[in-house]
Amino acid sequence: MTYPSARIRNFAIIAHVDHGKSTLADRMLQETRLVEGRMMRAQYLDRMDLERERGITIKAQSVRMPYTAAGGTEYLLNLIDTPGHVDFSYEVSRAMNACEGAVLLVDAAQGMEAQTIANLYLAVEAGLEVIPVLNKIDLPAARPEQVALEIVSLLGGDAEDILAVSAKTGQGVPAVLERIVERVPPPAGDPEAPTRGLVFDSVYDAYRGVVTYVRVVDGWLRPRMEVRLMATGFHNEIDELAVISPEPKPVDALGPGEVGYFTAAIKEVDSARVGDTVTEHRRPAPEPLPGYREPTPMVFSGLYPLDSADFPDLRDALERLRLNDASFTFEPETSVALGFGFRCGFLGLLHMEIVSERLDREFDIPLVTTAPNVKYEVHLTEALRKPNEPAVVLVSNPAELPAPNRIERILEPVVDAMILCPSDYVGPVMQLCEVRRGQLEKMEYLTEERVELRYRLPLAEIIFDFFDRLKSSTRGYASLDYEPAGMAEADLVKVDVLLNGEPVDAFSAIVHRAKAYEYGKGMVGRLRELIPRQLFDVPIQAAIGSKIIARETVKARRKDVVAKCYGGDVSRKRKLLEAQKEGKKRMKAVGTVEIPQEAFVAALSIRD
Amino acid sequence: MQASSGDPGPPTGAGLYVHVPFCRSRCPYCDFNVLAGAGRALRARYVAAVRAELARVAAAGPASVAPPGTRTGGWPVFGSVFVGGGTPTELAAGDLAGILRHARAVLPVAPDAEVTVEANPEDVDAETLAALVDAGLTRLSVGAQSFAPHVLDFLGRGHAPHRAPAAVAAARAAGVARVSVDLIYGAPCETDADWTATLDAAVGAGVDHLSAYALTVEANTPYAAAIARGAAGAPDEDVQAARMAVADERLGAAGLRRYEISNWARPGAQSRHNLLYWRGGDWLGVGAGAHGHWAGRRWWNLRPTARYADTVLAGWAATAGQELLDGAARRTERLMMGLRLVAGVPRAAVEPLDEAAADRLVAAGLLADDGGRLALTPAGRPLAGAVVLRLLP
Repeated sequence: MTYPSARIRNFAIIAHVDHGKSTLADRMLQETRLVEGRMMRAQYLDRMDLERERGITIKAQSVRMPYTAAGGTEYLLNLIDTPGHVDFSYEVSRAMNACEGAVLLVDAAQGMEAQTIANLYLAVEAGLEVIPVLNKIDLPAARPEQVALEIVSLLGGDAEDILAVSAKTGQGVPAVLERIVERVPPPAGDPEAPTRGLVFDSVYDAYRGVVTYVRVVDGWLRPRMEVRLMATGFHNEIDELAVISPEPKPVDALGPGEVGYFTAAIKEVDSARVGDTVTEHRRPAPEPLPGYREPTPMVFSGLYPLDSADFPDLRDALERLRLNDASFTFEPETSVALGFGFRCGFLGLLHMEIVSERLDREFDIPLVTTAPNVKYEVHLTEALRKPNEPAVVLVSNPAELPAPNRIERILEPVVDAMILCPSDYVGPVMQLCEVRRGQLEKMEYLTEERVELRYRLPLAEIIFDFFDRLKSSTRGYASLDYEPAGMAEADLVKVDVLLNGEPVDAFSAIVHRAKAYEYGKGMVGRLRELIPRQLFDVPIQAAIGSKIIARETVKARRKDVVAKCYGGDVSRKRKLLEAQKEGKKRMKAVGTVEIPQEAFVAALSIRD
Repeated sequence: MQASSGDPGPPTGAGLYVHVPFCRSRCPYCDFNVLAGAGRALRARYVAAVRAELARVAAAGPASVAPPGTRTGGWPVFGSVFVGGGTPTELAAGDLAGILRHARAVLPVAPDAEVTVEANPEDVDAETLAALVDAGLTRLSVGAQSFAPHVLDFLGRGHAPHRAPAAVAAARAAGVARVSVDLIYGAPCETDADWTATLDAAVGAGVDHLSAYALTVEANTPYAAAIARGAAGAPDEDVQAARMAVADERLGAAGLRRYEISNWARPGAQSRHNLLYWRGGDWLGVGAGAHGHWAGRRWWNLRPTARYADTVLAGWAATAGQELLDGAARRTERLMMGLRLVAGVPRAAVEPLDEAAADRLVAAGLLADDGGRLALTPAGRPLAGAVVLRLLP
């Protein structure tokens, strides 16, 4: 059942969220008769509930489709479906490296989006043959001619050459399959060389251990072969070697250009990371495949159980999630205000949302999530350094930032952001980027109506609500993509929030000096609304070091007494009191100030 | 301060509460068990039912109201009778007098018992008063509520302000020994001046007892609904705290001393019946929705007037529910009720407490603790709820 390389075509689909990638994949499964009509379900390849519900792909998927082309020759098509979000661009680039071609799928009504372009660049970088396809041509709002021009301006080529389909109805899909066979080059690889396979995804399975998805480049993979993962050094014997077509089917071998998966009693995905190279343990390849990178969390947040008794359960849940997701990190930390929890690192904001949603859904642990922040590089003043203290410390929890006088300078991560928007909205977009400390690097008209803006922006400025603001200031028309662009020095300060003179670590934030007042005033004002009146005045202050920059007061409660309490009221009032007593147990105490848990959650979850 | 100042001594005997649910109209803020616009027939049946329930409970003896297994003898002496509502004076004077006489006939009511009836100012006339005094009335509680016409209007009270002093004068003339008025403060339309004028008018009417209640938004009342839909303002907590302080100051200056959160009296004129509630005493509750308490058992009657009457007249007990209090619940109640009294509560009745919290409250100037009794300080009184919550173990 192995195919000669000449009749294998490996391809990915590049598309923006909602542009119909999963639907096109569904139609291909039907067109190649891999899935019968009655067995079909929407988004066949998306495995997680979360993926189906959000309509996004989080994990890379692959499916093997035998296809008899118009000329009667049988080909093997491997569709490697990639994640569709900027947080996972490394995963996307690895998946693309497993392909020779890519279908660029563009919504004929929406046009090109930043994310599509970013992924298109990844494809071009990986040397893939790109097949542009317009989707949703059956929609009344479709404007295929203009969108075709956008594609041509980016990709070159001939607008006439662009295929038009409706993935919904299936119209035009056979032509796409034919085009793949014609244009995508067959894989090149050395069947005699030591085995090299590119790991483009790995998924934890409770029964079989980690399922590792691999594209063979050179040599062969066979059941019972002892394989080694070159970056992590993990080695073991292959238990199961299979392809997905579209359900798992065991195979005797995977040769050059073929795509499938193996299991080898791997206990956690950390041992078989995306981008790693699998080789034969006894006859290893001299060099791994290029491009492997350690996963690097960019966004950090504290996760605390609402009920401190859940702490061990939370640890257990995080450990289990990590079996399945090697790209997030966690380490225990304590907060004066929130108790015991974990500082977690994520690839980006969506990744963070996905992890907390999975924690909530799969483990049912109510959580407080602190405001997300980035990792800072803090250079300490030589003169005030403690013995054995390094010159540079990394800070991912604002509460841990050293005192201002000990800091020589602070570097923050910056990104290169690409924003695509209709030309009418260039003004508001530029305004937003400037407020967020962005530096314009490039502005280019793709067509008369569509502009590509390139900004260098501090990552910290876009992890809050940048995307929402961008959407609302362009009536939803702008799209965003970004990639890390190193570290840059900035005038940053830590703003602390004090309740009754005591700092509340969970509310500390590192912000640009010019925005410190705004942040402090906002937080203090919000807390004034959220903190119930106590038996004494509670000053709420925002401070940089010892300098107070904003202040509000929650005035003392002056009256808390039942007006009438006679014989008929006793039972009811006692029960009310008992309920209040229970409620009081759920209060967090900051010094002598009692704060309901909900107020904490509210203060942390509202983002300005 | 001395925690025991103004303590009128231990309660003497038990109490009897009789509920009369009838009202001319329902006041928008009221969540009591009342029935507006009931017809003559229902009133007559209700009076018969109250008399029947009184006779039935009296005959069954204290064992029928005490917790099971409690050793009881016969009835102790009843030191007080209180007819409340609703509006007791919605009943014909003869019926009301009949109930008072019947109570004395079936229960050992002390010859010098305090016998109170609540009345609306507009219902009080010489004839009614004479009938009630003849039946043993010693105390009249007049629902004046306010002396500002727009506040009365807001509260849904139909009477003109001058009716309240007239009612007090009529009661005095009829030989009623003790007269009290009820006031409600802190309605959103009430000004500081309205409140001081109301206090002065109440004092000027010659009462020896005064209850002043902060207007409270009770759930499921027309007032709560009006606030929810934005048609009425909610009372302001800070304004009410200030009014409470003004009341204490002005009434104190007029010789009325505060003895409970919302009650002031001339020396010796405290309500003996209400003291029973605040001190955890025993009382029988008769009538629709009435609550009783006897030695750690609470019970309450059916609330709907007609159902109550039908049940009792068919020979059944009117009890709708009961509760047996364990030690912790009794201590919680004693603390919650006892701290309402200026005299406070004996420590022995409410211990164990959160002693660390008690120390903090004393340090904060909200609580007085002489080792034997706990009492709120003047600063602590408006914050009684918060203090009790912290003292509970």
